[in-house]
Amino acid sequence: MQDAARPRTKIEVCNLTKRFGELLVLDDISFSVAEGEFVAIVGPTGCGKTTFLNTLSCLLPASNGQILIDGTPANPKRHNISYVFQEPTCLPWRTVRENVAYGMEVKGRPQKDIDERLDHILNLVGLTQCANLYPNQISASMQQRIAVSRAFAVDPDLLLMDEPYGQLDVKLRFYLEDELVSLWRKLQSTVLFITHNIEEAVYVSERILVLSNKPTRIKAEVKVDLPRPRDFMDPEFVRIREHVTDLIRWW
Amino acid sequence: MTAYREVVVRTPLALKLLPILSVATFFIAWEIVVRTGVVPDTMLAAPTTVTQLLLDKFTNMDPDGALLHQHAWVSIQEAFGGYFLALAVGLPLGLAMGWFNVAEGLARPIFEIIRPIPPVAWIPLTIFWFGIGLPGKIFIIWLGGLVPCVINAYVGVKMTNPTLIQMARTYGASDWQIFKQLCIPSALPMVFGALQIALACCWTNLVAAELLAADAGLGFMITMGRRLAMPEMVVLGMFMVGLTGAFIGVIIDRVEKRLLAGIRR
Repeated sequence: MQDAARPRTKIEVCNLTKRFGELLVLDDISFSVAEGEFVAIVGPTGCGKTTFLNTLSCLLPASNGQILIDGTPANPKRHNISYVFQEPTCLPWRTVRENVAYGMEVKGRPQKDIDERLDHILNLVGLTQCANLYPNQISASMQQRIAVSRAFAVDPDLLLMDEPYGQLDVKLRFYLEDELVSLWRKLQSTVLFITHNIEEAVYVSERILVLSNKPTRIKAEVKVDLPRPRDFMDPEFVRIREHVTDLIRWW
Repeated sequence: MTAYREVVVRTPLALKLLPILSVATFFIAWEIVVRTGVVPDTMLAAPTTVTQLLLDKFTNMDPDGALLHQHAWVSIQEAFGGYFLALAVGLPLGLAMGWFNVAEGLARPIFEIIRPIPPVAWIPLTIFWFGIGLPGKIFIIWLGGLVPCVINAYVGVKMTNPTLIQMARTYGASDWQIFKQLCIPSALPMVFGALQIALACCWTNLVAAELLAADAGLGFMITMGRRLAMPEMVVLGMFMVGLTGAFIGVIIDRVEKRLLAGIRR
C-alpha cells in the first residue's frame, strides 16, 4: 500500500475488529492512509460502513486491533478528528459562523486564531454572506456545507465523512463534491469518504477501498489516478466505475 | 379612496354580546338567588355584599386582622419565595440528572419517592419544623414547584439530539463541555415550560398551605371567613386568589415571550 510519491503514512489501521456480542461486524481490517490522501470507501448496503466509521472516530471502542494517527493510538481529545454525519448537525442556537467555529472552540483554540481561520474558511466556501444567519434560515444543503466547513476548520488529522451528500439531488451533489475536492486540495487534509454511490467515489477520491458483505473486510483496493477536474464521460472514468461496480456485485 | 382598502376583521356579534350576557346573567341570578332567600345568606353571599366587603377591606382590618392588599402581599411573597427557590434548586438538579449518571443515580430514587406525595401532606411535619410563619409555607410551595422544574429540565436534556452529542465527541469535547454547550441550550424550551407550570403549582399549593396553617394571606382569609361564618369573606378570598393568580400568569407570559423571542430568533 505504500506509494513512493506519498510523503508518509498518516493513518494506520491494524487488525481492526468489532463485535456486537456474537455478531462479527468488522473482521480484521488493516489499511493505511497517507498524509493528505483522499480515500473513498464503498460497499454493499448494510455492510457495516457506519460501524466502520464510528469505530475509526472512536465513538465505538474496537473489540480488537487499533487505529494509529501519526503512530499514536487515535484519541479525539489529542488528535483532530472530524466527522461529517449523514444528517445535518448544525446547532440551532448558533449562527453559521458560530457553528463553523464550534470544533475549534471545543479544541480551545485562541479566539484570534479562530477568527482568522473562520474568515478564511467562510470565504473559501462562500458562506461569508450568510455568516450571521441561523440554521433554520438556510437550506438543508447549506447546513451540510456548514458541517463540512466546521470539519475542515479544525485542521483535521483525519476527516471522516459518512455519505454527507446522500440526501441531495444530483446537480447540487456535483456542485458540493467539487467544493469538497477544492477544499481538500487547498487545506490538504486526510479524508476518508464513505458512500454507496460509486460514481461519487470515483469522482472525488484518489483511492477506493471496496468493502465486502458482513463480516466486513477490505475486499479490494482501486487506485483512481485521473486528472482533475474529472469527467464522467471519460472512458477511463467509466472503466474504473464499472470495475468497482463489478467488485461490489461479486461476492 | 385608495386602491387599498382596510380589511376589518369583525368579531362575530354572538362572540361580542354573549359573553357579556352570560356573565351578567350569572351575577344577576346569583344575586337574586341569595336576595330572595332560595339560598340562605349564611351559605352564600350575594355579589353586592362581596363588593361591599371588597371596598371595605382596603381600609378596615376587622375582623381578620389585616387589610385585603396586605393579605394579597403576604401570599405573593410566599408564592414567589417558594417559586424562585424551586427554580434555583429544581432546574440545576433536573439538568444534571438528565446528563450525569452520578446525579441521576443519586437523586432519581429519592425524587421518585417524594414526587407522588402531595405537598399538602407535608403540612403537619412542616408545622412541627417551622411553625405557621413564612418559612414553613415557603417550604410547602417550594416542594410543589420543585417537581415540574426537575422533570422538565430532565426531559429537556434527555431530548438533546444524539447525533449532535456524537459530533461533539468526535471533536474531543468533554462531558462538561457537551452538557454546557449542547444539553442546556437544547433543554431551554422545556425549561421555559417549567417556569409556567411551576408557578401554577406554587400558587395552588400556597392556598392549600394557608388554609391549614397561617396567620395572614388570601388562603387564611378564606379560613377566617369560614370560622366567622362570613360567606362574603370566603367568596372574596376565592375571588382574590383567582384574580391575583391570573394577573401573575399574565406577567410571566409577557416575560417568557420576551425571553423566548431572544432564543427562537
